[in-house]
Amino acid sequence: MKKKTKKKSNPDKVPKRFRVTKRILWLDHFMNHFIVVGGVAVIAAVMGIFIFIFVQILPLFQGAKVKPLAEHPLVDSINEIIDFDLDEWAELPVVIRKDGSVRYLDLKGDRGSIEHNDVFNPGESLSTLNYNSLKRLLVAGSESGKFAFSKLNYRSQFDTASVRTIHPDIESSDWYVLSEKGESIKFVDYGEGASNKMAAGICVDSSGEQHVRAVTLEQKRSLFGGGGNITVGKRFDLTPDIDQEIQQVDVSSNGDLILVTSTTGEVFLFVFESGELKLRQRFWPFEGLDDKRVHSADFLMGDVSVVFSGTGGENRIFSMSLDSGKGQRLYSMTKEFDPLPEPSIDYYPGIRNKSFLLMGKNHASLRYSTTESIRWEQDFDFDIARGVIGEKYDKLALLDTTGILHLFSLQDPHPQAGLKAYFGKIWYEGQPETDYIWQSTGGTDDFEPKLSLVPLILGSLKGTFYAMLFAVPIALLAALYTSQFLEPKLKNFVKPTMEIMASLPSVVLGFMAALWLAPLVDTQVPSFLLLVIGIPLFTFIFGWGWLKLPKQVRMKIPPGFEFLIIAPFLLIVCYACWNLGPVFERIFFVVTNPDTGEQIADFRLWWPDFTGATYTQRNSLIVGFMMGFAVIPIIFTIAEDSMSNVPNSMRSGSLALGASRWQTAIKIVLPTASAGILSSLMIGFGRAVGETMIVVMATGNTPVKDFNIFSGMRTLSANIAVELPEAPYHGTLYRTLFLGALILFIMTFFINTVAEILRQELRNRYKTVE
Amino acid sequence: MKDLAKQKQVRVKGEIAVWFSSLGLFLGLVMIVALIGVIAYNGLSVFWPQRVVQLKLDTEAVTGLGSRSKVAGIITSEQTKSLDKSLTNPQAPVKEWQLFLGNKDQFGFSYKYFDRSSILEVSEPEEIVILERAEYGDAIAYPAYLSFVNGERIEASNPNFNAALKALIEECRDRREKIRYLEFNEIGAINKALEKLRLEKLKIDRSNVQSPADITSLNRIENERARHQSLFTTLAAQARGLRDFQESSKLAYTLASGEQVEQSIGSIYSFYYPNQLGFFGKAGIFIKHTLGFLIEEPREANTEGGVFPAIFGTFVMTLLMSIAVTPFGVIAAIYLKEYARDGLFVRSVRIAINNLAGVPSIVFGVFGLGFFVYFVGGTLDQLFFSLRLPTPTFGTGGILWASLTLALMTVPVVIVASEEALASVSRGIRESSLACGASKWQTIQRIVLPASAPGILTGMILAMARGAGEVAPLMLVGVVKIAPSLPIDTQFPFVHLERKFMHLGFHIYDLGFQSPDSEAAMPMVFATTLLLILLIVMLNLVAIMIRNRLKRKYKTSTF
Repeated sequence: MKKKTKKKSNPDKVPKRFRVTKRILWLDHFMNHFIVVGGVAVIAAVMGIFIFIFVQILPLFQGAKVKPLAEHPLVDSINEIIDFDLDEWAELPVVIRKDGSVRYLDLKGDRGSIEHNDVFNPGESLSTLNYNSLKRLLVAGSESGKFAFSKLNYRSQFDTASVRTIHPDIESSDWYVLSEKGESIKFVDYGEGASNKMAAGICVDSSGEQHVRAVTLEQKRSLFGGGGNITVGKRFDLTPDIDQEIQQVDVSSNGDLILVTSTTGEVFLFVFESGELKLRQRFWPFEGLDDKRVHSADFLMGDVSVVFSGTGGENRIFSMSLDSGKGQRLYSMTKEFDPLPEPSIDYYPGIRNKSFLLMGKNHASLRYSTTESIRWEQDFDFDIARGVIGEKYDKLALLDTTGILHLFSLQDPHPQAGLKAYFGKIWYEGQPETDYIWQSTGGTDDFEPKLSLVPLILGSLKGTFYAMLFAVPIALLAALYTSQFLEPKLKNFVKPTMEIMASLPSVVLGFMAALWLAPLVDTQVPSFLLLVIGIPLFTFIFGWGWLKLPKQVRMKIPPGFEFLIIAPFLLIVCYACWNLGPVFERIFFVVTNPDTGEQIADFRLWWPDFTGATYTQRNSLIVGFMMGFAVIPIIFTIAEDSMSNVPNSMRSGSLALGASRWQTAIKIVLPTASAGILSSLMIGFGRAVGETMIVVMATGNTPVKDFNIFSGMRTLSANIAVELPEAPYHGTLYRTLFLGALILFIMTFFINTVAEILRQELRNRYKTVE
Repeated sequence: MKDLAKQKQVRVKGEIAVWFSSLGLFLGLVMIVALIGVIAYNGLSVFWPQRVVQLKLDTEAVTGLGSRSKVAGIITSEQTKSLDKSLTNPQAPVKEWQLFLGNKDQFGFSYKYFDRSSILEVSEPEEIVILERAEYGDAIAYPAYLSFVNGERIEASNPNFNAALKALIEECRDRREKIRYLEFNEIGAINKALEKLRLEKLKIDRSNVQSPADITSLNRIENERARHQSLFTTLAAQARGLRDFQESSKLAYTLASGEQVEQSIGSIYSFYYPNQLGFFGKAGIFIKHTLGFLIEEPREANTEGGVFPAIFGTFVMTLLMSIAVTPFGVIAAIYLKEYARDGLFVRSVRIAINNLAGVPSIVFGVFGLGFFVYFVGGTLDQLFFSLRLPTPTFGTGGILWASLTLALMTVPVVIVASEEALASVSRGIRESSLACGASKWQTIQRIVLPASAPGILTGMILAMARGAGEVAPLMLVGVVKIAPSLPIDTQFPFVHLERKFMHLGFHIYDLGFQSPDSEAAMPMVFATTLLLILLIVMLNLVAIMIRNRLKRKYKTSTF
C-alpha cells in the first residue's frame, strides 16, 4: 500500500519497467474490495440463518389484531330479533326475527335484502326460538308442544367469470311432538350427530308447572340408501331428577349430552347411553362465589367443553374427562378466565377453533380456551347486543342496540400458540389433569392441537443423557490412554480409526440401531448388562493379576503396549458375557405369573413387573449406544488433543520428581487439560442433542416424559424431521417446528460457544506455561 | 519409565488404573470394527451366489404352504427360535432355518422360517435354476421347456437349451432398451413439446386483449399439437407392438413344490444354476450382481435392481454443493485471515462460525425449507413460472435447494479449514513476496493460496464427506423415494436444477423403514449402506492423508 502512494507522488522518477500496470492496480483494488464485501456477506448470510428462523416464529407470539371494517344498519329495532349470524365471507348476514322469519342482507352486491318467511313449515304458532351457531341450526318450539328445526346454510355459486355469489339455503324439518298434551314449549334445543338426534326442552303445562322433556328422533334407512322418514323415537321426562327451577337446557351438537341449568346456578348433566338418558352429574359451575347464578352455558366447538358465564361476568370452562374414581367421564373445571368488567350479555363460539367471543354491555373479549388466553378485548362506545366470530376466524361482527352492525377484520393466524401453549402445563380437553403433551394433528376437525414442547425437549435431553452416559467414560478413558500411555506408533493407527468413526453417516447408524442392534439386544438385555459389569471388572482383575506376575514376564511387555495384551482377553470376556446372559437372566430376572404360578425368566417381562415402567424394543439403551458412535469420536478427538498438548516440560517434571505415570496423568495432565476436556464434553453434548436420523429410526418416536431407559422418546430434531414435510406453509405447526429448530439452534450454539471460549482459555494457559 | 518399573521396592501407583484406561480404547475400537465388519459382511454377501437347498417337509408341521411337501430355497439364517422362557415348564430350544424361497408370485411371500424338526430331508439338486425377473423377485425352480411364437419347443433336457435361453434373454434385453428409448426419449420429448404448447396457449388465453397475431399463433399451436398427438399415437403403438413381442416366447419351469409356471422371456433378466457354480463361476456372478447394483435402476419399490439414480443423485448434489461452498468459504476465510483487523469482532465471528459447524443439520434443513424452497423458490415461481402455477417449479424441494442447504451447512467447515491453512503459510514467505513488490492480492493469489491449497482441499473433502452422508435436512428440501428422471440428462437444458432426486442415505432410510416388504429390502439396505460408507470413508481417508502430509511438510518448514 505504501508503495502505491509513493508512486503517485513522483511517477516520473520510477523507470518504466518498474511501473505497475493499471490493470494490476485495478485488479488489486477490485479484489481487495471484493473479498471484504464477499467475506462480510458470507458471514452475514451464515448469521442470517438465525434471523430468518427467528422472524418465522415471531407471529406465534402476537395477539389478535382487530380493525374496524364497515358499519351497516342491519335491523330497524333490536327488540324484534333474537339473533344474527354471518356467512363464511361476511357478505350476507342473516337476521333471525322473533316471529321465525329471517332476513338476509346483501352487503356486497345489490340484491338488497332477501326475506324468508318459510323457515318453518306452517301450521304451528311459535312459542320459542333458539339459534345454535355451531351448527347453524334454528330450533323452534310451538304453543302446542311441538318443535322443529331449520338449517340456515349458505350455498355459493360461480358464474362464467368465476365471480362468486352466495345464496341462502334453508333446510326445514317437520314438526315433532316434544311435550305431553296441553303443554307449550318454553325453551327447546336440538342436536344431531352421526348416531344420535335429540331434542330437549322446557315445557309448561296449563298450571304453569315446568317439565324438562327430551325426545330422540330416529331415521329409518330407506331401501335406496338415502335417509328415510324421521320419526320420534324414545321419550324421556327429566323433571324427577331436577329439584330446582329450570333456566336453560342445552343439547350438545352430537345429540348425546343434555345440560340443564337451574336458576340457582346448579347444572345437571344427562347422558344418552345405550338407549337410556340418565343423570350422571350435578355440579355448581361457580362454586365458591357469592353469586353462584349462571348467566349462560354453551358448548365450545367439539362438544367436550362447556363455557359458563356468571352474572357478574365471571367466565369458567368445564371439560369432560375420565374420573378415575368413578370410572365415568365427568365435568370438572379446567380453565378460569379473568371476569369481564361487566355482566356478560352474549356468547359466540368459533367454528374453526376453540375460540369464543364473550361480550358485556360495552366490552367484547375474544378468548381462546386451550391456552386460557384473552386474544383481544376492547371497550366500545356503543351498547353491544350480539356478537359473531366469522366462520373463517377472520372477521368479527358486533350488533349494537340501535341495530347497527359493526364489522371488524380479525387477524389472528395462531390463536393456539403462545408461551403458555409451548412451555406451560395445560389442561387439555379430555385429559384428566393438566399436562405437557405434544400431539399436533388429530383425526377430526374439532381436534384440539396440543403443542407443548416440553416432552420434546425432555426427549432430547433423555437421548442425550443416555448417549453421554455411555460415551463419556469410554471416550475419556480412550483419550487418556491414547494420549498418555499408548505407544506413539500405535497412535498413528488409532486416531484415524476413531476419526473414521466420526464420519459414519447417522442414517447408517440409525439403520443399524433399528434393524440390526434392536432385535439383537431385545432378547439379550441380561447379556448386555453382564457386559457392562463384567468388562470393567475383568480389566481391574487383569491389571491386578498382571502386577502379581514375576517381573521377568512383565518386563517383556514395554509400556504402551498394554492395550495389545489385554485386547484378546477382553474379546473372550465379551463372548463369555454374551453367552452367559441367559443364565444370568434365569437367576435374577424371573417373573411369576400370578394366575398360573408359572415362572418366566424374561427380562422384557421382568422390567415392567419390577419397575412399573414400559419396555419397548427400540429404546433409549439402543439409541444411547448408537449415538455413542457419533459422540465418542468427537469427545475423544478433542479431549485427546487437549491432553496431548499439555507441555512436555510439565509431564517430565512430574515424572522426574518420582510420580508414576498414572499419577502424572491424573494429577498433572488432567487438571491442566480440564478446560479442553470440558469443552469436548460440551461439543459432544451439542452433537447428541441435535442428532436426528438415529433417533428417528431407532425409537418409536412417541413423546414421553419419563427417563426410563427401556422406553423410547421423541426429540426436538426427530419431531421436525417427522412433521415438517407435512406441515402447511406458514401454519401454526410450521412455525412451531421452526420454534423447535430455534431452540435447538440456541441450545447447541450456546453450548458450543462456551466450549470454544473454554478452549481458548486453555490455549492461553499453555502459553504461560511454556 | 522403565527405570521406575525396575526399582524393586517402589510400588508403582496406579498401574491397575492404566490397564483400566486401556478399556476405553478397546471398546471404542471394537465398536467401530464390529459395526463396519457387520455392514461389510452383510453388504457383500448380498451379491455372492449361495447354494440352493431343496427341503422335504413334514406337511403337518408346516403351515402356510398348503399341501406342498417340497420347497427349494437359499438358507439365509439359522437361529434358535425365541420361546417363552418359562422356568416351570421349560421348553427345549428349537432350531429354525430361514429360507429365501423366491417365487413370490406363487407363494405371496419370499421368506419363510422352518423348524429344523419339520424338515425331513435336505438335498442340493444340480439342475435347479435361479431366474432374475422384472417382477416378484427371483424364481427358484427347475427349467421345463422353452416355447417360441411359432409353437416350437425346446425341452430342458436338450443340450441346446441353455444357449437358446441365453440368446432369447439377450434378444429381449435389446428390445427392452429399444422400448425404453422410445418411451423415455422420444415420447418424453413429445410430452415436453405438448406441455410447452399448453403453456403458450395458456399465456395467450390469460392476456385480456387478443390481437390477430395471437389468433394465428393459436392456430399454429393447434396444428402443432395435432401433429405431436399423431406422432405420439404412432410411437405409442410402436412401443406397444414391441411390448407385445416381449411376451411372445415363453419359458416354463417347475417349482420344487410341483407347480408349473410359464413366464414370458421379456420379464426374465438373467439366469444361473447356483449349485453348478464353482468358485470362479460364483465370482463371475458376484461381479455381475455388483455391477448391476451400481449401474441399474431400481425395480419393485426399490427392493430389486440397482441404485444408479441414487448414486448419481448423491454425486450431482455433492458436486453442486462443493461448487457453491468452496468459493464462499474461501473468500470468507481470506477475509477473516488477511483483511479483517484482529479484534473482538473478528474473534467473536470466528467463534460463531466455528460453532455453526456444531449446529444440528436438521436446523439447516428447516432453514432451507423456509428460505430456499418457500421464499426464494416461491418468488422465482411467481416471477418466471407463473403460468405453471399452482404446480410449483422451484417452489418445491429440488436438487438446487438441497445442494445450497448443505452448502450452508458445510460452509463453516470450509471456512475453518481454509483459515487454518492460510494461517499455516509462514509469515516469511508473505513478507518476501511483498518485499519483492507484489501487491496484496498478488501475494494472496500467487503465494498464499497455492501454498495453502492442500489445506483448503482437505476442508473441501471433509465438507463433501459430511454433505454426502447427511440425510435429515434433505428430507425437508427435495429428496424422494423414486425420481422419475435424473437431474442431468440429454434433454434441453440438460441440467435440471429444479428436479427432485434420489440419495443413497435417504435410500437406506426409505428402504429400511418405509418399504412394504422389509425382509426383502434388507439385502439392498445393507448393500447400499456399504456403498455409502465406502464412499464416505474413502473421502475421509483422502482428507486425513492430505492433512498428515501437510503436517509433515509444515513441520520441516517452520524452523
